[in-house]
Amino acid sequence: MDDRDLIGRVLAGDSRAERELYDVHVDRVFRLVHRMAGDPHRAQDYTQETFIRAFRRLADFRGDSALSTWLCAIAISVTLNGLRSLKRAREREVALDEAPEIGGRTVQADPDLKLRLTRAIDGLPDGYRTVFVMHDVEGYTHEEIAATLGVQPGTSKAQLFRARARLREALADFARD
Amino acid sequence: MTDEDQLDESLRAAARDYHTPPEPPREAMWRAIEAARRLDRARRPGPRRWVPWAAAATALLAAGIGIGRLSTSHMAAGAGGAAPAAAGTASPRVNQTAYRMATVEHLGQSEAFLTLFRASVRSGSQERLASATARQLLATNRLLLDSPAGQDRRTRLLLEDLELVLAEIAQLTPQATAGDRELIREGMERGGVLSRLRTVVPAGATPTRGDL
Repeated sequence: MDDRDLIGRVLAGDSRAERELYDVHVDRVFRLVHRMAGDPHRAQDYTQETFIRAFRRLADFRGDSALSTWLCAIAISVTLNGLRSLKRAREREVALDEAPEIGGRTVQADPDLKLRLTRAIDGLPDGYRTVFVMHDVEGYTHEEIAATLGVQPGTSKAQLFRARARLREALADFARD
Repeated sequence: MTDEDQLDESLRAAARDYHTPPEPPREAMWRAIEAARRLDRARRPGPRRWVPWAAAATALLAAGIGIGRLSTSHMAAGAGGAAPAAAGTASPRVNQTAYRMATVEHLGQSEAFLTLFRASVRSGSQERLASATARQLLATNRLLLDSPAGQDRRTRLLLEDLELVLAEIAQLTPQATAGDRELIREGMERGGVLSRLRTVVPAGATPTRGDL
């Protein structure tokens, strides 16, 4: 069934169509959100929020892009906003509870590439990380990324180039070894 | 192949394991989505859900004016000045009762407001009204904290905790994210503000109680 029929049925109040739409897209949305959030519970929350928002705004979907692209755009927005709020909340808690310890912490070098890479990706700016995860981890094309994020494919390529450069820099000593 | 190419290759290979997703909890997520959708449908048509907010705003404005009058007479009496005739004739006992009633009224309004706010956290479409209502409640809250009502330790602690929550809501803007609203809700839950309000406010004391 094509997106337009399904959307039409959802907008007409058919709750079975809502479930169908959810079934078609949930795995892809959850995968992307989990890659970005790195935690199953948060991924669950953000995926739910994505679909709730999508159903509420479905009437505004103009069909300029595929429904899956539109859903991914909502998912990315929900996830990044959620992670930013979480970061702010953690910073507040650290400020109150652990402020004296911050200066004393040192980053331990870890010989394991995957672990170090995970940390390095986690540390990328949101824009770089989103493009890197979508392209190198989840296999989206630059055109799909561009449509999802509302940027030009060239911008997506540039972001990926910079993200990889940052990661190479972070893992430079690993390459030397 | 250069060292850089080799690193890129191992980087891409290792990246495939970045936050590997588990099997999606499809049914659990669907239940939550379905519940939210049911709530959405129950809320339609739109104008009805504005009624409690508007009623809350109107009622608390009246309560604020009342408390303001009480405070004026209290301050005037305290400073030895001439209080307005009507307020000046009130005995301390009557004033105390009036403050208690005003406090219960205020806490009832706050409880109704926070209940409505908590229920609308997900939709987040009424930040402007929520912020305005919180500011009005905040003004009343501060009047009460500075009044004899604030001398009771338990009431004071509750009013102080309520002030923090109201101050956060008052700062909400239409650009606020779901995460921002969620943080306020979490703060509210952590301090048990809503449950403490419910133990203080007699059942049925709030005219704005109801569905969204």
